[in-house]
Amino acid sequence: MTITQTSFAFVSDLVRRETAMLYDPGKEYLVEARLLPLAREAGCPDVDSYVAKLVTNPAERDKVLDALTINETSWFRDNAPYQAFTDMMLPPLLAARSHVRHLSIWSAACSSGQEAYSLAMLLDQHLPSGWTAQILASDVSSTMLDRVRAGRYSQVEMNRGMPATSLVKYFSRTGSEWEVCDDLKKMVRTQSLNLSTPFPLLPTFDIVFLRNVLIYFDLDTKRDILRRVHRVVASDGFLLLGTSETTLDLDEHWGREAHGRVQVHRPTTTAAEQWQPTAMTGA
Amino acid sequence: MEPSLTDVRMVVEEVWTSFLGAEDPLLPMAPGTLDVGWSAAVTVSGEWQGAVSVELPRSMAEEIARRMLGLDDEVDSVGDDDVADAVGELVNMIGGNVKSLMPGPSALSLPVVAAGRVARASDVIEACRLDASWAGAPLLVSVHVRHPEKG
Amino acid sequence: MYALIIDDSRAMRSILRRIVTDLGFETLQAGDGQEALDHLEAGRIPTLCLIDWNMPVMDGYTFITRVRANAAWRDITLMMVTTESEHGQIVRALAAGAHEYVIKPFTPDAIADKLEMLGLVAKPVPA
Ligand SMILES: C[S@@+](CC[C@H](N)C(=O)[O-])C[C@H]1O[C@@H](n2cnc3c(N)ncnc32)[C@H](O)[C@@H]1O
Repeated sequence: MTITQTSFAFVSDLVRRETAMLYDPGKEYLVEARLLPLAREAGCPDVDSYVAKLVTNPAERDKVLDALTINETSWFRDNAPYQAFTDMMLPPLLAARSHVRHLSIWSAACSSGQEAYSLAMLLDQHLPSGWTAQILASDVSSTMLDRVRAGRYSQVEMNRGMPATSLVKYFSRTGSEWEVCDDLKKMVRTQSLNLSTPFPLLPTFDIVFLRNVLIYFDLDTKRDILRRVHRVVASDGFLLLGTSETTLDLDEHWGREAHGRVQVHRPTTTAAEQWQPTAMTGA
Repeated sequence: MEPSLTDVRMVVEEVWTSFLGAEDPLLPMAPGTLDVGWSAAVTVSGEWQGAVSVELPRSMAEEIARRMLGLDDEVDSVGDDDVADAVGELVNMIGGNVKSLMPGPSALSLPVVAAGRVARASDVIEACRLDASWAGAPLLVSVHVRHPEKG
Repeated sequence: MYALIIDDSRAMRSILRRIVTDLGFETLQAGDGQEALDHLEAGRIPTLCLIDWNMPVMDGYTFITRVRANAAWRDITLMMVTTESEHGQIVRALAAGAHEYVIKPFTPDAIADKLEMLGLVAKPVPA
C-alpha cells in the first residue's frame, strides 16, 4: 500500500501553500507514515481515501499540517547560541538600553516553546533588577502555540537539555508533566504568524532567534524572510539562525560575528538605507 | 488518593517508547485474559501508600529483556535472570514515576519479580489498571492502594 | 575517559553503556554504591559517574555524599540517572553534590545533551 502521486502532490501543495515547507518527490514514504494514523482515526481504509476527504474538510487539513510539520526542539538547543546570548549579546544591549530598561526578543517558529522559555530563564538570571523583557513566541501551528501557553512538558521533553538546577527552580509537577512557573509565562507572549507571508505589525526586536525553520524553505523564500526580519531587528540588535543554517548565503545587509562555535548575525545597514536601493536595483 | 489513568498511561508509554522502540507502539486494549509468564511489583510508602505492578506473557518479557540488553534475537538466548532483571527495571521506572504523580515524600522499594504472578498484600484495592497490547500480545499495569478502612 | 555506571539492573547498565560508549567513553560498572566506592578506592577514578538512586547495599544518594566527602575525588562529575522524580528529591541530590539529574525513562539524546552541557562531550560541528 503506497500513496498515489496525485495524493502526494495534493498534500505537498497544501503544505507548501500554507507553510512554505517543501516536501519533494522521494518523501512519499514520510508523508504516508505520518498520515496513516490520521487516516485510521478518521476511519479511512488507506491514506489515499483520507487525502480525498481533505478537499472538503478544513479541520482534517489542519491536522495534516500539524502532522507534517517538524516540531523537533529542545531546551537550550545546541547550547552555544544561549551562551552567546548571555555573554555576547546581553552586555552591549544592557548598556545601550539603560534608558528604557526593557528588552524585546522574538522566538520566531517557536514550536512547543522550549526556545522561548530557555531565553526567559536566562533573562530571569541575568537581567538587572528594575528591567523588564518581553519574548514574542510565534509559530504557524496553533497546536504548538496552545502548548506554549500551557507551558507543560513531559518527562521525556524535560530530560532534553534542561539543567537540573533550572528544572527545580522554574518548574513544578502537575500529574505526569512539569509546568513552567508563572513568572516565566508572564514574560512570553504568543502570536500566530506565518513566516512565509508578509508580517503583521511587529515591534522592533533587540534579539531574534530564527532557528531550524529556514532549512525547510526554498532559497527565494529564505531570502524574502531574512529581508523582512531585517526590518524588525534593531540596528544594534542580533539575529541567530540554526547551526546548519548559518552558512547560508545571506545578503550584504547582514554581517556576521563569531562567538565560539556560533555565528551571530547583525544588521549592517538600517532598514531605511536597505529599502530604497534594493527596490531600484531590482528593476 | 489515586493517580489518574491518563497520567499512568502517559508514564507507561514514555517508558515503552524510550526503551523498546517507537516503531511498536503500545496500544490500548479491552481487558481480557492474560497468560501471565512474568510479573513484577514495587511498593511506595510514605505520604502515599501503594503498589505498582506489571504482568506480562513470557514471550513479551523475553523480548523486553533482549531489547534492553541489546541482544540479537537470532543468536543470543535470554536466561531467566536476564528476564527478571529487565522486568524489574521496567516496574522500577513505572513505579518511580507513578510515585511522583502522588503527594510526597514517599520511598520506593526495590522491585520484587516473579515467574508467574507476584503475591499482593491482602489489604490493598485496585485503584487503576491499564490494559494494553504490545506487538500483538496483551499486558497489564496496575496500581493498588491501601484500603482506606484498614489504612 | 572513563564512565562508571552504577545501577542494580544489568539491563539498565547495558543501555547506558551503549549510549556512553557511542559518546567516546570507556566504561566501568557497579551494581550498587559500595561496589562503585570499591572501584574508586582501588584507584579507578572515572571522569563521570552515572548513578541510580535505589539500589541494594548502598543507594546512590549515599554514594554521592561519600564521594563528596573525599577531596581527592572532587573532579568526578556526578550525574544521577534514576526514576526518582519528586521535586524535593532532585533538590536533595543537587544539594548533596550531584551535577546533573536525568529522570528515567530517557532517550540517548537526553544523556548526550546533558554531557555536552557539562562539557564532557563535544557536539560534532555540522559540515
Ligand atoms: C524544527 S522546529 C524549530 C523550533 C525551534 N526554533 C528550535 O530551533 O528548536 C520548526 C517550527 O517551524 C514551524 N514552521 C514551519 N513553517 C512555518 C512558517 N511558514 N511560519 C512559521 N512557522 C513555521 C513549525 O510549526 C515548527 O514548530
